[in-house]
Amino acid sequence: MRLQVRAMRTIYFDNAATSWPKPKSVLRAMSDFFLRGGGNPGRSGHGRSIGAARVVVRTREQLAGMFNVRESSRIVFTKNATEALNIAIYGLAEEGKGIVTTSMEHNSVMRPLTYLRNRGYEITAIKGDGTGRVNPEAVARAVREDTNLVIVTHASNVTGTVNDIGAIGSMCRERGVSFLVDAAQTAGVIPIDVEEMKVDFLAFSGHKGLLGPQGTGGLYIGKDQLQLPLMRGGTGSLSDREEQPDFFPDRFESGTLNVVGIAGLGAGIEYVMKRGIESISGHDETILGIFIEELSGDGRFVLYGPFANIRGDGCGASACRMVQTGVLSLNIAGVSPSRVGQVLDREYAIQTRIGLHCAPSAHRTIGTFPDGTVRLSWGPFTKKGDVRHAVRALRSIADRYAELQ
Amino acid sequence: MFGKPKRNKIDLRDLEGVISFFGSHHAIRTEGLLKRNGIKAVLIPGPREISPNCGVALRFDWQRKGEVVSLLKEHLVHYEDVHYYPEQ
Repeated sequence: MRLQVRAMRTIYFDNAATSWPKPKSVLRAMSDFFLRGGGNPGRSGHGRSIGAARVVVRTREQLAGMFNVRESSRIVFTKNATEALNIAIYGLAEEGKGIVTTSMEHNSVMRPLTYLRNRGYEITAIKGDGTGRVNPEAVARAVREDTNLVIVTHASNVTGTVNDIGAIGSMCRERGVSFLVDAAQTAGVIPIDVEEMKVDFLAFSGHKGLLGPQGTGGLYIGKDQLQLPLMRGGTGSLSDREEQPDFFPDRFESGTLNVVGIAGLGAGIEYVMKRGIESISGHDETILGIFIEELSGDGRFVLYGPFANIRGDGCGASACRMVQTGVLSLNIAGVSPSRVGQVLDREYAIQTRIGLHCAPSAHRTIGTFPDGTVRLSWGPFTKKGDVRHAVRALRSIADRYAELQ
Repeated sequence: MFGKPKRNKIDLRDLEGVISFFGSHHAIRTEGLLKRNGIKAVLIPGPREISPNCGVALRFDWQRKGEVVSLLKEHLVHYEDVHYYPEQ
């Protein structure tokens, strides 16, 4: 089957959903695995099996290096950040204990928590401010004696607002509460150090900032009390026994892994490390700066997010130097986001994501529920020319529609 | 990384030690660890007589067993056992 792609050059502004394009090395690593490797890792001692296992170990160690994880076997592969979050949430929820989270979470956190709430678990969601930022002190105040888990998104997928993970992590460590971070929007885009930021569990996506293919993600498991994996099954280890292995990473990796995806993910991480996370976040910031400069003075545009205090904030840790990822949510006064998104796509070939972005609670927080916003999200391959084109398109849509209201 | 099977210059008969593991992750990491320390090591299908635990085991130069064991300890490697198991 051939994909039908319009002849017109498209401009991709939906990197927060999945990054595109990927470095060519990602494709090469995947085809190399298919053409020359192709074995099942850890199942046999022949060359293809060992080659596949080497691919998996190499990517695991690259991730460990990126997140400063001391023991790489503590990183387990999943099919996406959602699966990683589910493993952590259901593995940590305890009857009679409370969970504290924020109103800025994606449904990958909200839906499992709502399921738990309906079964009698106490869930507290701390509301972010109008820019989407969550006050670490408010989180600290909500943590009580019976709280055993705090879940915070590193950055909102709606506004790009970066939370002060280090401050919340230190508080959790002091109070003896487990800390789970959703890094779906930040892995590969903002430096993450699980030791410095005192993160116990880190869920990440492989196909966004890490530039790997879809179907990849993972979970760092820094504490032993994570209960029962969601799945049990074959691991290639302890094959004479019918109980699930209790050691890492096998305990949490039942069934054949997505090795071809993991091969691509390894190449994506290599690209990110070579180019440098700092350089990528600097690029993201530059593009945000252009959008803000071009659109913030124009009263027809409503922009969401903390960009106003960019580089301010008094937040010392290197990791919260950046206050907004490469994401900008906006609306044109009086025009529905779906209309803006449709015109951008059909007339300008600019691909954005409109609506609620699987995060209704975050939209309630910034006051854009139920219509949502138009979200533009960029990545390491977005060019300044793309931004100028998007700005011109947005202005012309505003010219046409904003005054009609 | 996959390549053609290397016509290994290493004669497995010279590597009389075998480390058994619980999982392949640790076997592969240990291969790298020994090689980085200049110790000959080759991954092999895990011999059933030694352990049913993992599909992959690591042959190494038994004469350097002392160094190997201290490296395993120093790097907190999760391994099952170290065996004297010459090629049959």
